[in-house]
Amino acid sequence: MKNFFDVKNVTFSSSSDHKLIDVTFNIKNPGDIVSILGPSGVGKTTILRTIAGLEKIYKGEIWLNNSLISSKDFFIEPEKRGIALSFQDNSLFPHLNVYQNLIIGEKRKSKIKRKIKLDECIELFQLESLLKKFPHEISAGEAQRASLVRSLLSNPSLLLLDEPFSNVDIGLKEKLQVNLKNLLKENKISTIIVTHNYEEAFYFGGKCCLFSKNKLIQFDNPYNIYHFPASQDVANFFNKGAFLNAKVISDNELEHNILGVIKGKFVRKFKKGDIVKLLVQPEDLIHSDKSNLKFKIIDKRFLGTNFIYFLKVSAKEILPVLVHSHHIHQHTINEYFGVKTPIIIKHLVCF
Amino acid sequence: MFAKKHKSFNFIDRSVYVFSLIISLLIIAPIFGVILGNISVDNEYFKFFSQTELVRYTKNSLFILISVLFITFFLGTFSAYLVSFYEFPFVNFFKYSLLLSFAIPPYIFGYTLSGFFENYGTFYSILNYFLDEKIINSILPNLGPFLGSIISLSLTLFGYVFILTRSSFLNQSKNLIEVGKNLGFTTFDIFFKIILPSARPAIFIGLSLVGMETLADFGTVSFFGLSTFTTGIYNSWFIFDDLKTANVLSFLLLFFILTLFVLESFFRKNMKFHNSTSSLKRKNEKINLKGTKRILAFLFCFTIFFISFLFPLFQMLFWSFTFPNSFDFLEIISINFNSMKLIFFASTVIIFLSFFVNFGTRVLKSNVLSFFSNLSIAGYAIPGIVISVAIITFFSLIDNLLHLSIKSYFIGSLAGLIFGYVIRFYSISFNTIKTVYLKINKTIDDSALLLGFDKLKILKKIHFPLLKSHFVFAFILISIEIIKELPITLILRPFNFETFSTKAFNMASNDLIEAAAVPSLFIILWSSLLIILSIKFFLIDKK
Repeated sequence: MKNFFDVKNVTFSSSSDHKLIDVTFNIKNPGDIVSILGPSGVGKTTILRTIAGLEKIYKGEIWLNNSLISSKDFFIEPEKRGIALSFQDNSLFPHLNVYQNLIIGEKRKSKIKRKIKLDECIELFQLESLLKKFPHEISAGEAQRASLVRSLLSNPSLLLLDEPFSNVDIGLKEKLQVNLKNLLKENKISTIIVTHNYEEAFYFGGKCCLFSKNKLIQFDNPYNIYHFPASQDVANFFNKGAFLNAKVISDNELEHNILGVIKGKFVRKFKKGDIVKLLVQPEDLIHSDKSNLKFKIIDKRFLGTNFIYFLKVSAKEILPVLVHSHHIHQHTINEYFGVKTPIIIKHLVCF
Repeated sequence: MFAKKHKSFNFIDRSVYVFSLIISLLIIAPIFGVILGNISVDNEYFKFFSQTELVRYTKNSLFILISVLFITFFLGTFSAYLVSFYEFPFVNFFKYSLLLSFAIPPYIFGYTLSGFFENYGTFYSILNYFLDEKIINSILPNLGPFLGSIISLSLTLFGYVFILTRSSFLNQSKNLIEVGKNLGFTTFDIFFKIILPSARPAIFIGLSLVGMETLADFGTVSFFGLSTFTTGIYNSWFIFDDLKTANVLSFLLLFFILTLFVLESFFRKNMKFHNSTSSLKRKNEKINLKGTKRILAFLFCFTIFFISFLFPLFQMLFWSFTFPNSFDFLEIISINFNSMKLIFFASTVIIFLSFFVNFGTRVLKSNVLSFFSNLSIAGYAIPGIVISVAIITFFSLIDNLLHLSIKSYFIGSLAGLIFGYVIRFYSISFNTIKTVYLKINKTIDDSALLLGFDKLKILKKIHFPLLKSHFVFAFILISIEIIKELPITLILRPFNFETFSTKAFNMASNDLIEAAAVPSLFIILWSSLLIILSIKFFLIDKK
């Protein structure tokens, strides 16, 4: 069976600085959500603009609902694609008030029959008090919410969201994320959401595209992206773990010159004697005051539910270790911190 | 450009593209006619010409240009400095009233000046109440043609420097005077080391515009009998029927003016970096002047306002009432009607064309279109007299090439006159609309497309409502220019078709300055009214 939406070997470019080469990903079924994740400036917005038909492509093909919509020689006008894009910056029509902005796209003819109600959206995205205001009278976050609702109401066959909550207050953000996801799922709206926040990407996306340095470096489900990163670049993007040089000593063991033997299951195969870089995530090591393997704490970060202690293993190696914040006692910087031995890491991610 | 890349360019896009391109090309075509016409000029002729008249034209034009630039720089920047940074009596009034100098065309100022100081003129009559005739004759200033032209041009054109410099001062992010004082500068140092350099691009733009207007001026230098490029063009064409010389002079004048135009564009680009767009911009607290300084600041602004606006206005009023029989009531009605007709047709055409090309350039994102539309706004730099010659040359050329006789439809007809206005004033409307367009985020268009709007629906439902009030502004600005316009009207108008400017010019040329008062007065009144409207509805700021 064919995919609902396909990007096949496309080179995306809005200028020479924003170029993504040979990108392939898809949305398998109608109603699925795909997240696009990557650092600022990598060209995430260009992908959305191209899919929407605001930029052209000179290599590859884009298919929607079994129809070609973009290729080197073929191009369907943006107004005829039935794709909605909610922009990151304020794109409300300045001469119309919020209410008029919301309903302006409602009249579009669409093959898809959905029952997204205006009143429901207004309530879900808390726009009641803004309806009579003009775009210049509302905040950036409010404009983003209104723009999102306008896109939803236009009844698209594919919805593109560009950092939809980047200007929304943190307190409100989580609530709106839940509301949006429920609405998308209930109405089976196929969506591509661009974000630089991996938690948001993981929350929405059944699958995620991770871009770095002009390339799609991994397209997979969020669990695999986090736990089985395809490259060091992917692991580096989350910036949570650290890499240690270690030697493969058996089919399920590594040896580090200070930490000793580390057991676990290799994600990729290596030969005995290979020197590898082992990814150690904060949750991989376990704290134990009774352990003889102790390291000096050089920094400490409080994350609410957890603490992360940064331990100096050697001059060039610093390891993060996660501890629940209700842990019976806390350590301070410069104290020594015990790590439970033998060290067992479930998945040994090595490069 | 795009047709190759995207085979799916639709019918609407193609039509918008073709029409936008045709409009832009049509507006620049006559100017290219002048340039092409000069390629065929033989060297012998040019050599002879350059040794005789040309030296005189160049010398006179440059002398007037430099003097006017010097005076307008002083008047414009100093008045802008006073009203922007200081508090003194009537400062809010002067902020806008100094713009009324735009209501006085330089040639009318020239008539005023000449009539006021001439023997047995207004000044003489005033002094006659108090002094003996011999004493009056000894103190009555003798205004030569150069001094007369320079004063007339300076006092009617300094507004360009004033308005641009003032807006540059308003855009500065911090109170420069406070910063300067904090660094231990004297007021003198602050003005010369901080304030002036920070407004430099704006001042240069203002001076470039003054320069272009000065070189383009025909009415004033012609009234004072000076030989400059513009009078040379007019005389060779009108009196000696020598289109060749008119063409050569037009070409040279274009060269000088385009140099200024390029400089102006350069400074305009540069200005972006000088203007702070910081959100920290705060209202400048003006410094309250005290004692003598307060009176001097008031006197300086009042004197400029009085001489540049009230003086010509009162003089024209005085003559109109002292010589009430010099004008027929029915003729006034008819000329008012003529002016309105011209304003209505020309403005409508100009606004429609410039809106359409702006729209096309914006939505089609074509480099070719953008290049030609930018070129087509050069019209504002080109003197009316050159445009007139260009149009005549252009239609002669087409008639000769295609064996037609369309020239008769455009020379000495309303159509030709309106075409002249379109070339000359197209940029006013084009830039007004473009400025608004630049402020409208491009994602607005993209959003509309993605909501299923086609381009014409975007034009109708999004762009038109956003731009319509600015069409009114463009209409007002064009109207002010058309009312004051002289050379194009003089040359291209239908036989016996009079406007206030042609009537005033003809009367003054025949030494009937008093009879020129009524048409001059109407020009001043109409222009003032329109300037006041534009200030009230568009230019007023909160500072």
